[in-house]
Amino acid sequence: MRKDQNLGEYLRMQGVSRRGFLKFCSATASLMALPPSAVSQVAEALATARRPSVIWMSFQECTGCTESLTRSHAPTVESLIFDAISLDYHHTLQAAAGHGAEAAREAAMEENKGEYILVVDGSIPNGNNGYSTIAGISNHDMLIEAAENCFAIVAVGTCAAFGGLPNANPNPTGAVSVSEIIKDKPIINVSGCPPIPVVITGVLAHFLTFGTIPELDALGRPAAFFGQNIHDRCYRRPFYERGQFADTFDDEGARKGWCLYKLGCKGPTTYNACATLKWNQGTSFPIQSGHGCIGCSEPNFWDKGGFYDPISAGQWGSRDALLGAAAAGAALGVGSALAARARKKKAQAAEEI
Amino acid sequence: MTLLEFASGPGLQWALWIFVFGITWRVVGAVFLLSRKDISKPRHTNTISAGLGAVWSRSSPAHAFEKKIRFQHVTGYAWHFALFISVLFFAPHILFFESLLGFSWPHLPNTIILITSIIATAVLIALLIRRATHPVQRFISNADDYISIFVVLVPLLTGILAFAHFGARYETLLAVHLLSVEVMLIWFPFGKLMHMIMTMPARFQAGTAFGRRGVKA
Amino acid sequence: MSSLDTIPVTTEVATGNVEPLLHEIRHALKRLAEGKEGTVIDLKRLPLAPGEEERIAATLGTGEVRADVDALGPTLIQETSYPGVWLITHKNADEVVVARFIEVTYIPELLRSQQADIDAGINRLENELKN
Repeated sequence: MRKDQNLGEYLRMQGVSRRGFLKFCSATASLMALPPSAVSQVAEALATARRPSVIWMSFQECTGCTESLTRSHAPTVESLIFDAISLDYHHTLQAAAGHGAEAAREAAMEENKGEYILVVDGSIPNGNNGYSTIAGISNHDMLIEAAENCFAIVAVGTCAAFGGLPNANPNPTGAVSVSEIIKDKPIINVSGCPPIPVVITGVLAHFLTFGTIPELDALGRPAAFFGQNIHDRCYRRPFYERGQFADTFDDEGARKGWCLYKLGCKGPTTYNACATLKWNQGTSFPIQSGHGCIGCSEPNFWDKGGFYDPISAGQWGSRDALLGAAAAGAALGVGSALAARARKKKAQAAEEI
Repeated sequence: MTLLEFASGPGLQWALWIFVFGITWRVVGAVFLLSRKDISKPRHTNTISAGLGAVWSRSSPAHAFEKKIRFQHVTGYAWHFALFISVLFFAPHILFFESLLGFSWPHLPNTIILITSIIATAVLIALLIRRATHPVQRFISNADDYISIFVVLVPLLTGILAFAHFGARYETLLAVHLLSVEVMLIWFPFGKLMHMIMTMPARFQAGTAFGRRGVKA
Repeated sequence: MSSLDTIPVTTEVATGNVEPLLHEIRHALKRLAEGKEGTVIDLKRLPLAPGEEERIAATLGTGEVRADVDALGPTLIQETSYPGVWLITHKNADEVVVARFIEVTYIPELLRSQQADIDAGINRLENELKN
């Protein structure tokens, strides 16, 4: 797609009829969690949308977020949106390498000053900038440079949004999230380990359609996808209400599809769209497949107690500390009783005189 | 650290330490304050059955007062019964205790727990109002009474709100519920909530002391 | 592979969303009959247990009109056994469902020929006739 073409012209050139375009808009509106009544507005906006330049930077990550996004081979709505943007830099997907690739990045950033979208996946090591470098430039410096003239940053994946796995105890690299380094640009946190692909493209589609940042929640995540917790949308909720739980992974309750609360499901404290949008184009999600939610779109989910410890389990600390408290109490008890006895004796003695 | 992480981590640990410390202090102290051996000649030597008899007989009002205090008698038992069912037989609570004690027990359906917890909350509020408005009750009530009631009422209320996912985001409701329980644990050894530990042993002790002298307590 | 199939797993679940949805369709039909505008329901936005989407489709049944649309992949537009209630299933070229809607209307927008396409068609026909 030529840079100066708008999306409508691009699709028509691809042989997509107006009818096909309307189908694309319906699916995109559904993707963006917009009501069906917004389809005509979406159609109008998308027909004349310009191709935004997108620079994708991969830092301390496992590439799972990119993998999540690119697993389709045929044109899906997600990949069409991806085609509609101008992805000017992406380590895993680009053919160029070395100085040429870096030069292309710098050129794209200069050409689209103030307008390009910076997508970041992976955390940034703050402990020693040498832990993760690209072309000899540390992640930290590259992020600062790229963020300076961008329109907005999309932090894809829990690593970029909240620190993720590298940030988990004991955090040897001093990994931090994008929002801990960049303070003066709008940041959209699309968390999840990985995020649901349609959520990533939904955010990009929002840019394409409206040219603005979607409504965000308190943690900077798009409210359309992260506004509800899994528990409130889970189809196994009736079992929770009735108190029918699976006790182990292969007992009768598990086979009957009962609630996985006892097996450590973090659904009640996790906000994501897994229960409605599901994964692999709506095939299933962890709970439907019989495993409790691990809360992967929340900060510090690696350190919030075990994946198989129920939410209501406490983190009690050491047994020794408890015994110490009991011993101290006993000592005080004996001491105060003896002191009281001594006072009593003294009072009796005083009375007898 | 989020509020929930604090409430289910350090907050809980400290509350438990203070609880254990305080309970041990008071119980050990009470035991060490027991009077010296009674050297008078006993009328009955089977003091254990006398003690147990007192625990049983003092669990219901004395015959002369029965009619007059039927209200307190019934509401007292109803409230305690509703509270124990709600605390001990709700599945997430059992998991909470299991993480500390290492063993668990069967749970009841959530609907039953919802009913008992609403009963417990409503009765407690009604009794609190009675305590504050009834002239005699008002006269004999002190700060200890009111604090002890509040530190139990707030966990009940916040628990129901958390269960219903009503009022705030769930993790906030859960954190507030946990914190309110921690406040109760910290207050416990220092006020009238100690009756939970002291009542039965106190009745037993009275029973043995009187039984020795041939008096039915 | 076959040994995995012998594991008995059943899910007797219901979200309780099927009946309210059917009621919503009933209300939408009444509004349409009174001359008010149609309604579109996005099935992907509702939490549905496995099997419930099929239950909804089975309850609605099939009617007199079935249209196979080939635009950016196959789309099936089926009038259900309740006239005015259309079930639209959008698939991509890989036969994967990308969106599913229930439209309560006289004729779904996607079935109508679009103005832009008609204009492009006129150009093409004129060129064809010139040769």
